[in-house]
Amino acid sequence: MQIDRQMISNRSAAVIADVFAIADVFAIAKVLMITGAFVLANVFTIAAHADETCNSPYMSGLIKGQEDYVHVWTLGVPGLGDGSDKLVTIDANPASKRYGKVIDKVSVGGRGEAHHMGFTDDRKYLWAGGLDDSKIYVFDVGTNPSHPKLVKTIDDLSAKTGYAGPHTFYALPGRMLIGNLSNTADRGGVTGLSLYNNKGEFIAKYDMPTTAITTAANATSTAGKKTVTGDGYGYDIAVNPAKNALLTSSFAGWNNYMRDLGEVVKDPEAMKHFGNTMVLWNLKTMQPEKIFAVPGAPLEIRWALAEGQNWAITATALTSQLWLIERDARGRWQAKDVAAIGDPAKIPLPVDISITADAKGLWVNTFMDGTTHYFDLSDPQHPKETYSKHTGSQVNMVSQSWDGRRVYITSSLLSKWDKTGKDNEQFLRAFNWDGHELTPTFEVDFTKEQLGRPHHMKFSADQKRVASLVDAAVR
Amino acid sequence: MLGSLMAARGAPWVGQACRMLSLAVMTGFAAVAGATVDPGKATAPRMEFAPPPPGSYKLQNIQRVSDAVLLDSAGQAVKLSALTQRKITLLTFFYTYCVDPLGCPFAHETLGQLRDRVRADRRLARRVRFVSVSLDPTHDTPQTLADYGREFAVDPTFEWRFLTARRVPDLLPVLDDFGQDVSVETDENGRATRTLHHMLKMFLIDAHGEVREIYTLAFLQPRVMFNDIETLALEGD
Repeated sequence: MQIDRQMISNRSAAVIADVFAIADVFAIAKVLMITGAFVLANVFTIAAHADETCNSPYMSGLIKGQEDYVHVWTLGVPGLGDGSDKLVTIDANPASKRYGKVIDKVSVGGRGEAHHMGFTDDRKYLWAGGLDDSKIYVFDVGTNPSHPKLVKTIDDLSAKTGYAGPHTFYALPGRMLIGNLSNTADRGGVTGLSLYNNKGEFIAKYDMPTTAITTAANATSTAGKKTVTGDGYGYDIAVNPAKNALLTSSFAGWNNYMRDLGEVVKDPEAMKHFGNTMVLWNLKTMQPEKIFAVPGAPLEIRWALAEGQNWAITATALTSQLWLIERDARGRWQAKDVAAIGDPAKIPLPVDISITADAKGLWVNTFMDGTTHYFDLSDPQHPKETYSKHTGSQVNMVSQSWDGRRVYITSSLLSKWDKTGKDNEQFLRAFNWDGHELTPTFEVDFTKEQLGRPHHMKFSADQKRVASLVDAAVR
Repeated sequence: MLGSLMAARGAPWVGQACRMLSLAVMTGFAAVAGATVDPGKATAPRMEFAPPPPGSYKLQNIQRVSDAVLLDSAGQAVKLSALTQRKITLLTFFYTYCVDPLGCPFAHETLGQLRDRVRADRRLARRVRFVSVSLDPTHDTPQTLADYGREFAVDPTFEWRFLTARRVPDLLPVLDDFGQDVSVETDENGRATRTLHHMLKMFLIDAHGEVREIYTLAFLQPRVMFNDIETLALEGD
């Protein structure tokens, strides 16, 4: 089984190599997008969001000092350890004797394409989703963050909504808004958002728009172009409460993300099924208000949340651009590409991004060339790359501490999209960042440790000098 | 240990210490304490949009409120369901000695603004109540609540109830049901201090006892909250 998979993956790698051998892939992709075929070598993507600076702004207990632990939601690999998806906890405090070591792992007893996770608003629980089986696992990380416990499994997402592939878990007060990737009817990319309360009870669903929107906000589309029609695809979620604004992005459905990458690339029909839009929602009414054309699978969304800032940023995986979603002087929301990431012609595949706490800088990982980039966002209209470093043969997630001094990187994209052979490195690498250079601090080899493919990261910290109401009352 | 909090009540240094601590923490989102977790400065909620008109949107049914028995400010046992049904209810948790500028005082100031606006519509005023539940039953006795609540009882016709519990275990199921976190900061010797950490939350409950909206600090936008109350009132019309 493992050998077959290896052979298939090797074929995929060869196909990708062929694709990359085309001298001007990006130009071809542009033509294809213009003609509507959109058969770009547009493929390999999906990232995640991570870090402290990118958590829901309503969450309590943001860690603004040294994090104690990094939790890594890890895809199981057949024949490696118990083969199950698992939450891996690594000691990340340099003052600890266990610094850089795996101190805990909680298997969920199956393999469902572990991918992303998100804290509840009180940071007591971590919800983690499976893109294949659509299950959601709830871990208690508040009681003892060094030893999370699986306390609940939510398995009614598809039955309640018809959606599949829970991706983004975004804390709202007392509830969790989930951005999904797919649906159960045709396993394509048309999907929606689902809402659960913190007890894990389903509340509501919201379909991603598949038609043009007729609201006043949408009447004047980006740069005066014709009104954009929704493609129904989903991916990330990001909220700005001061503006009553919710932004969503778009990727692809189960048929693509659970299929061997090489096969997807070779299938012109499959290549048509990637998201090309972002949607602005009215957060209070949960109605879509405007659809932006953002070609090439816009993924992670990050708001600049400081007073006076009126923008969010995203990266398109397939076209390798940074896009700014900004409210203009007339109060209209617009989207425009503001910078290239690496050389788009080489299809570096930007995946995860991580914005600094002051929104003046942005980390971007590009999967194919294994590079970690830093952009100066002082002028969000003109982001400027000021640093880059080769950090692995394949890199996906990037998470930074609130103070920006520590940066963590993991390697895995998707079980069927990761590289193969010696390039299939599976690691978490930690770095210090002094504003000029990423300096390695520790590394965990997830293959050697028999863990799996590391994906999404979240931080936690011991709660020192606090007692529960009961403990305080009885002492 | 909370008993020591009571014993310390009234000591002049306590208020100052709490203020200093609170100003240092400025939580609002309160949060946990400790060397590695710093909630940092909370910021007052901003509102840079026109709120959707009442009735133009649906507030989801988030969860049903479970019943419990608490104490009112007269020392009478009261079923929570009696104060979370038959009217539109805004419920929040607080403690009387909280001095965090963006914590309990901010919550009650926001509620005060809302009360004044609701009172301006007599028909609406009859259908709305506020409920404030103490997080510290050991300190916040019925008498303490009665004293504290007097400041907010500017209009006897508007129902604003202050509740506590006979003892901490009676309160815990209520906190658990609402998902209201709270912890007590301790000193270097493990003794409880007078600082409670909790995430500021306000719960909008319809006349049938269903939570329909939850506001944390970033969402304490009185114009939106008023429209939410009117939206629920329109449902009942």
